[in-house]
Amino acid sequence: MSGVSGERLPGVPDVGATELDAMVDGEAADPRAELSKTDHDTDLGIAMAEDAKRVSRGELSAEEYWRKYDAAAEAEFGDDYRQTPNPAIDSPDQTIESETAESLGCSVGSMDSITCESAASAASDDGDTQENGARWGMVIDLQKCVGCDSCSVACKAENRTPPGVSYNVVMEEEHGEFPDVTRTNVPRPCMQCENPPCVQVCPVSATYKMDNGVVNIDYDRCIGCRYCMIACPYGARYFDFGENYDDEVDGAGAVTSPEYGVDRGPREDGASPVGNVRKCSFCTHRLERGEEPACVETCVGDARNMGDLDDPDSDVSEMADSSRAFQLKESEGTDPNVYYLK
Amino acid sequence: MAAEHSHLEFDPGFIDDRLRAAWYAALGALLLIGGYATWLRISGGMQSTNLTSTTPWGAWVAFYIYFVGLSAGAFLVSTLANVFGVAGLHRIDRDALFAAIVSMVVALLFVWTDLGRMDRMYHPFLWRQITSALAWEVHAYVAYILVLTTELYFSMRYDLARVAEHGSGLRARLSGLLTLGRRQTTDASRQTDRTWLKRAGIVGIPLAIFMVHGGTGVLFAVSKARPYWNSGLFPVIFIVSAVLSGTALVILLYVLRTRLFDGDAVDPDLLDRLAKLLATFVVVDVALTAIEALVSIVSFHPHVVETWHVIAFGEMSWSFWWFMVGLGWVFPLVMLSKRSWRRTPWLMAVAGLSVVLGIIAVRFNIVVPPQIRPVMEGLPHGSYFPSAVEWATSVGMIAVGLLLYTIGAELLPLTPLEEGDH
Repeated sequence: MSGVSGERLPGVPDVGATELDAMVDGEAADPRAELSKTDHDTDLGIAMAEDAKRVSRGELSAEEYWRKYDAAAEAEFGDDYRQTPNPAIDSPDQTIESETAESLGCSVGSMDSITCESAASAASDDGDTQENGARWGMVIDLQKCVGCDSCSVACKAENRTPPGVSYNVVMEEEHGEFPDVTRTNVPRPCMQCENPPCVQVCPVSATYKMDNGVVNIDYDRCIGCRYCMIACPYGARYFDFGENYDDEVDGAGAVTSPEYGVDRGPREDGASPVGNVRKCSFCTHRLERGEEPACVETCVGDARNMGDLDDPDSDVSEMADSSRAFQLKESEGTDPNVYYLK
Repeated sequence: MAAEHSHLEFDPGFIDDRLRAAWYAALGALLLIGGYATWLRISGGMQSTNLTSTTPWGAWVAFYIYFVGLSAGAFLVSTLANVFGVAGLHRIDRDALFAAIVSMVVALLFVWTDLGRMDRMYHPFLWRQITSALAWEVHAYVAYILVLTTELYFSMRYDLARVAEHGSGLRARLSGLLTLGRRQTTDASRQTDRTWLKRAGIVGIPLAIFMVHGGTGVLFAVSKARPYWNSGLFPVIFIVSAVLSGTALVILLYVLRTRLFDGDAVDPDLLDRLAKLLATFVVVDVALTAIEALVSIVSFHPHVVETWHVIAFGEMSWSFWWFMVGLGWVFPLVMLSKRSWRRTPWLMAVAGLSVVLGIIAVRFNIVVPPQIRPVMEGLPHGSYFPSAVEWATSVGMIAVGLLLYTIGAELLPLTPLEEGDH
């Protein structure tokens, strides 16, 4: 970035821009071959693509482009063309003049309208997640866990937790004496207990159970008394002392994770969650967009599973019912929503 | 009461002006140190502490429960006089009440400083959690301060009215204000005061025992995740050591004030009575702590056994042996063992100071050791000693308490203005 041109950086191959462009061209698929795989007109596709490049180079205006191809595209794609919102004429980020936009045959609607529709349909495909009340649960197969700690790393990367805060850790236990040694690795996220002791003790109800089983923390209400950390039998809660990775990474706090669905912008001194207690949220922000928590997605041994414990046919329910299943500190009566398989 | 002090023109302050100047200078220095440390705490956030996520509660919490205990203890000593009518204790009644109020203010300063978000200290009054001991405590503390202030008012109003009527200057004007307009000095008005004092005291006793200090013990005892605290006896020990430290504080204040402010002779009978009370509380405290330790150690609960191991042999074991056992229990018991020693003011002041310091170690040994061993095998072990900022802010907050007490003692008729029962 800041290197003077001509001066080679260690480990960077001495390749010029033209060679790199040639490599890109070499890798690119043949347009004609690709487009001929579809049922639609190959020549029209090539022509539109070539002109689109001219638009991006500024040799052709977007208005001219759309006027030129509107009729042809409508003839070729029919209703698909007419009913699909076009990003170029998407209000409010519309890139072409309204006059031209009005004259076009395709629907003048917002791109947001289709993203909302597909999100809604995805949620209902997922099976009654929100409306019928899924209870999120995690099952961790200890036989599959190799102790690589990539869940902890993925968690830190996803949730952008500061130094001293690690929502997920892997507890390692060694049994026996050399050479007869076994090692058990027990990953420990927040247990999202059904009877959470942390919720019971919070003097301001800043931490509470959500309908989906996840224990939430309201960073705008938490006073930082740390009573919940005292009460948690799993040591799953961490205090945000306000430390940063600024010395290690430039702009480490520029982006924060939208935990519990709230985007707080860049990390700032003295602004929440600094001075609050933090913990794993089962990546609520990912669950809400139909993704698995980062630790589940990244697990190399596929040891971690996420699903609806209220659905008796879900994988996690079946695993949680197996004779191998157990919870940590069952005697505490906290009834965790994280199960382990022996 | 000394004959040379007319109760109309009484002067409750220091009798030695040089001593006064030196005392205020010392307090000023401590406040400067504390003020600077508080600025570091506020600007640097909780990073200025040595707390970690394994050991989230430290010195500030220990001092908080210490001052809550001191307050509850001093208050209960005052009720001996104004509720139970124990003869001869009326002299220290107001002093004990005032010390209880000041201790509570200091305790709240400590919790406030301990909050990760000091700016949100009012949140517990906006949002509550009915199952949270801490939510109840916050309200109990406010109610308790109100009851204490009410009691002090009814205990002191008659003398305030007399000072306002006969005295002059700042003290008379202040006294007039503090009577809240009730300036009668008739026997009937005095009788009304006593009735209401007793009523407030009767409300205050359960509030202090069950809510304020018992409740603070419960706050710890309900933590099932920390088996060392999770016992029914725990809140009881909390109250006993509170009463112990409160009695010791009252003895210390009585001797110092009588000597330094009133230039008076200490009443040996009163001193002896307080000293015997103190000895009783030391013995009960030792006995209950021993029962608690034996039950948990002999039942081999691994977490509790390991916590006791940390207390007795860990890197901080000096605070257990020297301060808690030594200053808190053994040294005062020796001092209190002889009748002639119990009647010697300076020895009793030393014994009182020794207990007051020893109980600080009791509070630290309650708060810190159960947070050293992690709640689960495989999580990191804790290690905690307060940072310089934590110590210096604590010194500052204690200095605030001493300053409040000194100003009050200099301006208010905390010692009844005549001999005998008021």
